[in-house]
Amino acid sequence: MTGISVGLNCPACGGAISVVEGEDTIPCQYCGSMLFIEGDKGVSTIAFKSKVIHPNAVAATQAWWARGFKARDLKRVGQVTEVYPIYLPFWRALTRVAGWVCGYEERRHTDKNGKVTVERIPKEVMVLQDYNFSEIACDPGDLGIRTLKNFTGETSFADFEMIPTFEATTSKDDAVVHAKNDALSRARSSARVPHVTFERLHVVPKRLSMVYYPVWIVRYKYRDRMYMTGVDGVTGQVMSGRAPGDPVFQSLAVTAGASLGGMIAAAGLIFSDGSAEIAIGGLAVGAGILYVFYRFFRHGSEIVEGEFREKKGSSKQALKDIGSIAKQIQGGMR
Amino acid sequence: MRVVQVKCPSCNTPIYSKERDRLFFCDKCNTLHVRDGGTDKVEYEIAEFNKSAQGEKVYMPFWRMYSSFVIRSKSVEGGQLFRLANWLKGGGDTGSLFIYLPATDMEPSALKYWSTTFTATPPRYATRLNFGGVRRLPASMTKDEATQMADFVVVTMEAEKPGVLQRLDYSLTVNDAKVVYLPFVYAQSGLVPAL
Repeated sequence: MTGISVGLNCPACGGAISVVEGEDTIPCQYCGSMLFIEGDKGVSTIAFKSKVIHPNAVAATQAWWARGFKARDLKRVGQVTEVYPIYLPFWRALTRVAGWVCGYEERRHTDKNGKVTVERIPKEVMVLQDYNFSEIACDPGDLGIRTLKNFTGETSFADFEMIPTFEATTSKDDAVVHAKNDALSRARSSARVPHVTFERLHVVPKRLSMVYYPVWIVRYKYRDRMYMTGVDGVTGQVMSGRAPGDPVFQSLAVTAGASLGGMIAAAGLIFSDGSAEIAIGGLAVGAGILYVFYRFFRHGSEIVEGEFREKKGSSKQALKDIGSIAKQIQGGMR
Repeated sequence: MRVVQVKCPSCNTPIYSKERDRLFFCDKCNTLHVRDGGTDKVEYEIAEFNKSAQGEKVYMPFWRMYSSFVIRSKSVEGGQLFRLANWLKGGGDTGSLFIYLPATDMEPSALKYWSTTFTATPPRYATRLNFGGVRRLPASMTKDEATQMADFVVVTMEAEKPGVLQRLDYSLTVNDAKVVYLPFVYAQSGLVPAL
């Protein structure tokens, strides 16, 4: 249940009613009439009220400058040049997944003679779960905002005339398909069946709504280069942004990475005691650590936070890369 | 976004209720209807309470779907019997059955319990025309949702022990769906059928 509510009036008695977003029926608390909420072309639309004002957006950005590995003089040198609010449209869907995933998992056992046996353990897992989904309903450009993180707050269309609003450009049908695919993929992951022999999952879309969410855009200048942050208009938190990195942190990173990675790789070789697996494992972990720090060195001239399409240098991407390297090494060992 | 007062599609009487419900029942002409893109009357049955039922009474709505089921092939690890075949009318791996699915919101475990319990042992009851002042639990599941969930109920029944289901190739067709209000009473252990 979300905390979003929309203010309306009862057509029978005129009493003020408050409807939770996504609900389409409500009894009037004054006259008891059953009321039905008809959305715009079947989709209910709500707009969050902006709780953040100009100085809050600037303060949130300046506080964000001081966090992480951004340029140390950013707070002193950075200059805010432009601050304005916008409304971004998001599709929001609630879907229920019900079904079964059946299959098996394999467990390898090695006896004292080194003989490997594979045990096959049958699995059947029921999935019955509701999933929340959101995605931006327009081209976000270089904003770095693609999904909604906050679903609570006061809703009102009062600011709608004053704040520039991005038009929704993606279709309702596409949003439903994306919500279904997202729910299916999360349901499959939650089942944890490595080898699937039978799967019957049903995705039932329960609610779809269009949510207009306020975001403050803060543009700023640092040593003749322009950067930008997107500040949540409801919570006041920075949702996304780009900031200059610090060359000192980059240099420290590559030095620390080379030292740490080298030590782990060497320790693997020294303490392997003839075991090729430990030696190669140590090398792989050492190389992985070096790679993470190298990525920070390589891409650390700009710190990027948010949901950007190609977020080079992100820790998530680096971990994915390490995962694929580890798989390649494992494959090579077999 | 527009708010409209719900009125009965048969006699135009406004519907009054204290609870949020997707199924609207007209106390004047006993018509049940739903609004989901349009206004549709819904077939329903109200089961009579057992005369000896004690405690606070309540009606729980179920979707009852008369379905045809064909099992084309199957595989179970560690089990011998296919439970579903026992419930199908007609014997073998082809037949028909009534699938019950609670139409009210409830925990997944409770939904699984009541749907498999009543599908395995269909309730027998006498019917009545109205609720007789007994409270009814609000419905939250539409007919389309129930039709999709019917599939879940039959696979759940088959996936239950004995054995671990590995493969089930089948087809399911829902031929007919109606709402059935079944009588329950509140007991210490929760809701108990009062049929």
